[in-house]
Amino acid sequence: MVPAIGVLRYSFLDGDYLLDGHGFTLRHYLRFFSDTYYSSVLWDTFVDGLVVSLICLLIGFPVGYSLARLPPLARRWRTIIVIMPLTLSLVVIVFGWLIVLGRNGLLNSVLVNLGIISSPKTFLFARPAVILVLVQQFLPFMILSVMSVVTQIDPVLEHAASNLRANRLVTFRRVIIPLATPGILVGFNLVFVLSISAFITPRLIGGNRVPMLGSLIYERIMSEFNWPSGAAMAFILFVAGLGFTAAFNALAASRFVRGGRHAL
Amino acid sequence: MRYDFTDYVLIVAGAVTRVAVYALLALPAALVVVLSFTSGETMDFPPAGFSMQWYQKAFESEPFMSALWTSTYVAVIVAIAALVIGFAAAFAINRFDFPGKGLLQALAFSPLIVPAVVLGIGLLYLFAWMNLIQTMFPLFAGHLVLAIPYVVRTVLASLTLHNRVLEEAAMNLRASPLRVVRRITLPLILPGLLSAAIFAFVTSFGNVTVSVFLTYGGNVTLPVQLFTYLDHSYNPLVAAVSSIMIFVTLAVILTIERLIGAETLS
Repeated sequence: MVPAIGVLRYSFLDGDYLLDGHGFTLRHYLRFFSDTYYSSVLWDTFVDGLVVSLICLLIGFPVGYSLARLPPLARRWRTIIVIMPLTLSLVVIVFGWLIVLGRNGLLNSVLVNLGIISSPKTFLFARPAVILVLVQQFLPFMILSVMSVVTQIDPVLEHAASNLRANRLVTFRRVIIPLATPGILVGFNLVFVLSISAFITPRLIGGNRVPMLGSLIYERIMSEFNWPSGAAMAFILFVAGLGFTAAFNALAASRFVRGGRHAL
Repeated sequence: MRYDFTDYVLIVAGAVTRVAVYALLALPAALVVVLSFTSGETMDFPPAGFSMQWYQKAFESEPFMSALWTSTYVAVIVAIAALVIGFAAAFAINRFDFPGKGLLQALAFSPLIVPAVVLGIGLLYLFAWMNLIQTMFPLFAGHLVLAIPYVVRTVLASLTLHNRVLEEAAMNLRASPLRVVRRITLPLILPGLLSAAIFAFVTSFGNVTVSVFLTYGGNVTLPVQLFTYLDHSYNPLVAAVSSIMIFVTLAVILTIERLIGAETLS
């Protein structure tokens, strides 16, 4: 918490360079909220975060669910594949994607050889590429959240539902989803907060074309050395993350009660 | 179980998604390793041929090797410090009631409250204010903040699972509390402790999001070095260096898997 408080203090300094300046000013916040460029970046960042979280949920849920239901031996290697991107350095993952998506990369070479496109295309420096890479990075968080909550759902409930002639879709909708909601919300929240504060990926994959809040902060501090302004932006990010977390917790609390009743 | 049409659709869709997801998760790292063995000068796919030349160049490259050394050095110190602090915290949470216990537990279980950017910047300002920015302290502090929660969680899980009866037996035999901890508790939870330390090591070793704000000319870690390098260009040399990181990480995961099972990491 101390760093966050420090960030708050420096965001009110009136200087524009390193720790120059003193006193108290809201100048940096006013600049952020009055300039439409920043508000559009802020908006884009939130939209990206939402898209990434939704995709993670959509493709991560089946994986997390199946992991929880697999016998331990089969689970082992799959768990290692899931945990690997979490443990591996982020730069290495992003580098891998640079080679996949680059002009002479894997994707272009496959597409050209299949005759789908005639000449290599530029996939990097575009929003879809950034979203794809963010999804791959944060997917494990969603998978593991879903897995941990599904492990606690007794398979007997699913057998009971199928004995009552519910097909899988009905069982899924009426039994699994309500019971797994807390895990889904935790995963969603994690992925969202991580995505809106990402800066390595937008910078390396998106270049200057896909500004996100995190990469703006990084540039403000490490290239322009405008620390007070960077601090103001970081604090906005911090508050946004906290706000979303609080909202998710409130949602989880209310959803949990309803989900419990559904299951009974 | 009886299957109807929607069941089959769901089964097929589920299987396709699972295969796609596992492929997606493994793809970047696998490709880096494959291309690190290229004999060509570029990162084009498919690779030109097989050679170890880029590994040789990586080991001869002064910036990367000194960064690798810095990373290893920082990670070892962070692992030891995180283990000591984390064990103390986990032991206290597990055995005693004290004011602020709930807060400590909440802190240990939610390391992601503060985004990495905010943590990095905050520590940067803090240490700049203390005039310590040209030292290793910011890096140690940043990595410790990241690593300690994992250590606390892993050690806490081991402490909760292990059987207290043996400790009680030792105490009945008039062993001092310190002796009990040293001769009974620590050996029993050794796998948990080792995993925690190794995981703290790899957290520090691979971190870039916090480190990037806290390094200066003399103490650049390997991931930060890779990041600044990738900002300008990339070539098979980076692939070789990255592959070294992949091998280290994979070794770590497999070791932890052997010790306590990979699921504990989540």
